[in-house]
Amino acid sequence: MDKRLALILSEVFRLKEKEINIALTKADVGSWDSLKQMDLVLTLEREYNILLTIPDILRMVSVAGIVDVLREKGVALED
Amino acid sequence: MVALVTGGGKGLGLVIAEHLLSNGATVVVVDRDRDALDALPTSVFGKCLDVTQPEEARTVVASVVKEHGRIDVLVNNAGVIYNEPLVNIMKPEGIMHDYGRFREAVTVNLDSVFIMTCAVVEQMVLLRTKGVIVNISSISACGNEGQTAYAAAKAGVNAMTVTWSKELGRCGIRCNAVAPGFIGTESTHQALSVDSIKHILQNTPLGRLGKAQEVAQAVATVIENEFINGVILDVNGGLVI
Ligand SMILES: NC(=O)c1ccc[n+]([C@@H]2O[C@H](COP(=O)([O-])OP(=O)(O)OC[C@H]3O[C@@H](n4cnc5c(N)ncnc54)[C@H](O)[C@@H]3O)[C@@H](O)[C@H]2O)c1
Repeated sequence: MDKRLALILSEVFRLKEKEINIALTKADVGSWDSLKQMDLVLTLEREYNILLTIPDILRMVSVAGIVDVLREKGVALED
Repeated sequence: MVALVTGGGKGLGLVIAEHLLSNGATVVVVDRDRDALDALPTSVFGKCLDVTQPEEARTVVASVVKEHGRIDVLVNNAGVIYNEPLVNIMKPEGIMHDYGRFREAVTVNLDSVFIMTCAVVEQMVLLRTKGVIVNISSISACGNEGQTAYAAAKAGVNAMTVTWSKELGRCGIRCNAVAPGFIGTESTHQALSVDSIKHILQNTPLGRLGKAQEVAQAVATVIENEFINGVILDVNGGLVI
């Protein structure tokens, strides 16, 4: 799991870094509602200097989905 | 004392109705939920009414006056907690708050209070009843994330409460509101995730959810104390949102 991404996700969802893993989905995280999704999008756009579209955002409902979208945007992430 | 409690079929309204009953009042509950009305204690009078319908409301209120002589207290409790953020980027069919749902939430939480108060105050004025109106507001009235419509409606309830306390004082009619924070009711557990409740508990100085009985006690207080008028009484354990 990419360290920087894990840190971002842990801060957005107020989880411990060690709780972030690639299998984690929206359904597993109680605080992951539409307002948190907005926080997530704005943080990722700022941190990676990218622009996310609505179709991108709709796919970002799991850590795996977020990783896929970020890679498609050219973000280099560790496995 | 004859008290009319709207939305008293279940939740806070039912506890308020039972509390007023135990204080010796004759209690009439109006609710749109027929099953809940059927399950009321036999000592509470139940009538089916959708409080967003002005004509029906006038008819039902007139029938209560006919049967019980007058209405001394109206508790405007019927309401529906509604959550929807202004922008929801997870909603592909349109990211902005649905206007129809905004209207629905405002109708059930704000218009209903206007409609019922008009119907009851008309009778109070005609019969010279020095009555009390108690509106159930909410901590959300000061603005709460994810609750545009509900917060706006409850802020409107607070504004009407103060306005009516000023207008109706000359008739001897008082108007107050009770603004609960987060109460451990079924509706709270339905509306909020386990995480949100945890967050609320962490931020509430008393570290717990309120009890429905504590809201009922506050309602009884603003009814009993004859010099309390135009007050929005917070019952929230010290929580600030
Ligand atoms: N539960 C809480 O923590 C909380 C906190 C703050 C404010 N409130 C307020 O307290 C009031 C009661 O909330 P609750 O949690 O007991 O809700 P609830 O959903 O448990 O009960 C509401 C009752 O009102 C009735 N009702 C709803 N719409 C109606 C209509 N149009 N006509 C007639 N009856 C109608 C329902 O049938 C139900 O019996 C509401 O005004 C709510 O906004 C509740």
